[in-house]
Amino acid sequence: MEDFKSIISDCIAGSRKAQAMLYHQFAPKMFGVCLRYAKDATEAEDNLQEGFIKVFTNLKNFRHDGSLEGWIRRIMINVSLEKIRKQHLLYPVEDVAVYDTVNFSDDVIAKISADDLMKLIQQLPPRYRLVFNLYVLEGMSHQEIAKEMDITQGTSKSNLARAREILKKKVQENFGELIAQNNHTA
Amino acid sequence: MMKDKNIDELFRSKLSNFEQEPPAYVLENVLAGVAGARRKKKIIFWRIAGVAAALLLAFVAGWQFNGGDETIIESPVVVHSTTPETVPSTGEDQKIAPVGAAVKSAETLVAQVTERTSVKTQNISAQNTPKNQTLTAALADSKIAQTTEEESLLLKPIKSLTKLLQPVLSAPARIVPGRQKQLAVNADQVKSIDQQIMEQNQQQILAQNKEKGKWSVGAQVSPAYNVSRSSHAQTYASNMISSSASNPVDVGGGVSVQFKKGKRWSLQSGVYYSGLGQSSGSSTFSNRNLAASSDFATNVGKEYFNAPVNIDASSSKMLMNSTAGVIEFSNVPSGMVLGTNLEDKTLASNTVVVSDARFIQNFEYIEVPLYLRYTVLDSKFDVEMVGGFSSNILVGNDTYMESAVGRSLVGSTKEMETMNYSGTLGVGFKYGISRHLSLNVEPRVKYFLNSLNSNSSVTYKPYTIGVFTGLSYEF
Repeated sequence: MEDFKSIISDCIAGSRKAQAMLYHQFAPKMFGVCLRYAKDATEAEDNLQEGFIKVFTNLKNFRHDGSLEGWIRRIMINVSLEKIRKQHLLYPVEDVAVYDTVNFSDDVIAKISADDLMKLIQQLPPRYRLVFNLYVLEGMSHQEIAKEMDITQGTSKSNLARAREILKKKVQENFGELIAQNNHTA
Repeated sequence: MMKDKNIDELFRSKLSNFEQEPPAYVLENVLAGVAGARRKKKIIFWRIAGVAAALLLAFVAGWQFNGGDETIIESPVVVHSTTPETVPSTGEDQKIAPVGAAVKSAETLVAQVTERTSVKTQNISAQNTPKNQTLTAALADSKIAQTTEEESLLLKPIKSLTKLLQPVLSAPARIVPGRQKQLAVNADQVKSIDQQIMEQNQQQILAQNKEKGKWSVGAQVSPAYNVSRSSHAQTYASNMISSSASNPVDVGGGVSVQFKKGKRWSLQSGVYYSGLGQSSGSSTFSNRNLAASSDFATNVGKEYFNAPVNIDASSSKMLMNSTAGVIEFSNVPSGMVLGTNLEDKTLASNTVVVSDARFIQNFEYIEVPLYLRYTVLDSKFDVEMVGGFSSNILVGNDTYMESAVGRSLVGSTKEMETMNYSGTLGVGFKYGISRHLSLNVEPRVKYFLNSLNSNSSVTYKPYTIGVFTGLSYEF
C-alpha cells in the first residue's frame, strides 16, 4: 500500500510513467471484470479505457483507508452499468425450456474453460447479464442490486432466475456431450 | 435438474478471478484521454478566468464611466463675482393687473426671460439655485444682473409684480430692497466672461481626467517567428537530432488591458495565447551501416530523417533526444523504419529511426504579461517603447510527424516546465482612427528567462519575434 501511495501521488501529479505502472498493475484483472459486463471484447476495451481515465482523473479523491483494487473495480462496474443504462436497451423475453441434467462434477468444471463461459455470459441480454454478475460474482444482495439498478427486488430476482435459465440452456447446448460423457463414465 | 447453486458455482469458480491482458493500444488511449482531460480542465480554468477578467473589466469600465459623469456635473461649479440686483417697485406697476392674471403673466414673462438667458446662465443656475428657491428667488438671483439692457427692461415689470405677489408666493429669499443700481453689462462682455468660464471648466475637466488616468482595452494577433536557442550535455547531444534551419512560424494573439497614468507612462496586462514550435527536418543519410544494408542501398542519396532512439525499459516507449528535450513516442508512427543492433560504435544507442519525414514539436502557452510602456511621441501617430515580463503557462505539448502521407500526432516532449517566465522588448506604433479607437502595430522580441525543459541535460531557451497588430479602445 505504501508503494501505491507514491505511485498514486505521481499519477495525480500527471506522471505518465506512474500512470502506466498503475495501469499495468490492475489492467488484466479489470479487463476480466469488464469482459463479464460487456457484450463483447470491443465493448469491454471501451469500458476499460473509460474506467481507467476516470480512475486517473479522480485518483485525488481516493481515500487510502480502503483497497485501491476495490475502488478501481467499483469504477469499472459503474462505467459498465452506465453504458448499459445509456443504451436504453430493450429486454427480450425468451422462452426458456427446462432441461433435465446432472450436477457438475469437478472434472466437468475443470474441462470447461473460462473463455467459453465468458462468451456465454456475454450472450445474455444486458439486464440479465448485469444482475447475474452483481449477484453471483460481486456477491451483492437483491436489495443492493435493486438500489443500484433502480429496479424492484422482485425484478432483480426474476432477472436472475431468467439469467440462470438461459445460462443452463447454453451450457447444455455447448457442453451437453461432455456432461453426458462424464455422467456415463461415473 | 441443474441446481442454481451449481450454475452459480460453475461461473464463480471460473470467472471471479479471471484475468486477461488488454490490447496495448488501450493504455495509449487511456494516457491520451487523461492528458486530454487535464487539458480540458485547464481550458475550462482559462475560460472562467477570461470571463472573470471580462466581468472585472466591465465593472471597472462602468465605474470609470460613472466617475466621469460625476466630474462633468461638478466641473462647471465656477463662481464668478456678480452683484445681485433688485428692481425697484413702483406704484404704477401695482395697478397693472389683478393678482391671478399677474401671477400668470409673471410666469410667462419669467419663462421668456429664462429662455433668453438660459444659454448663458444654465450651468450657473443649475448649480447655484437651491432646491427650495422660488420664483422670487430666481428673479433675485445675481446672474440676471448680467443680462442685456433689453432683458433688464423686460424684467422691470415682472419684478414689480413679484413684489406685489410676495405674500402669495411666500419665498424664502426676498428681493433686497434699496439696491437699485442696475448693472448695464455689455452683451459682448458677458459672452467673453462665459467663454472664459467654459474654457476654465474644460481645463479643469481635462486636468481631472489626466489625474484619474485612462483605461484602454485591445485585441492583437501576431505571427511569431521562433528561434531555437539551446545547449546540451555531451552525452545527450551525441544522440540528439538537430533542429531544422527553417523555424516554424506560429500565430499568437490575445486581449490586453492598459492603464495610462499621466501623459507618458502606462501599464499593460492581458491574456495572450502563443505557439512555439520547432521542426527537425531531414538530414542526409549518414549512417554507413544502414546505408549499406540491402533495404536502403538503393536509396542512398535520398533525404532521410535518421536518429538514434532508446526504448524505455519500464514503459516500453521509444524515446528520442531533441534540442527541446526528450520526445516520448506514444506509438510508432506509420512510415517509420527501425534499425536495431547496429554495429556503428559511434552511436550510444542501439536503435536508429529512419524515416523520410520531419518531426514538429509544438508547445502552446497562455501568457499573462506585465508591460510598462513609455510614450516617446504623443500625437495622432504615437510611438511607444514597451518592456516587461510575462508568466507563460504550458497548455499544449505535442509532437507530430510530417511525411508524404500527411501529419500525425506521435507523442510529446518529456519534462517540459509548466510555468515559465519571459522578458519582452518592443516598439509600439499607434494610429488614432477616432477619438477612442486606435490601430496598433507592435514589433516585439520575447525571450525565455528559464529553460523550458526541466531535464538537467537540456537548456532550451528560445526567443520569439512577433509583430502584434490590433485595435485598442480607450475610455
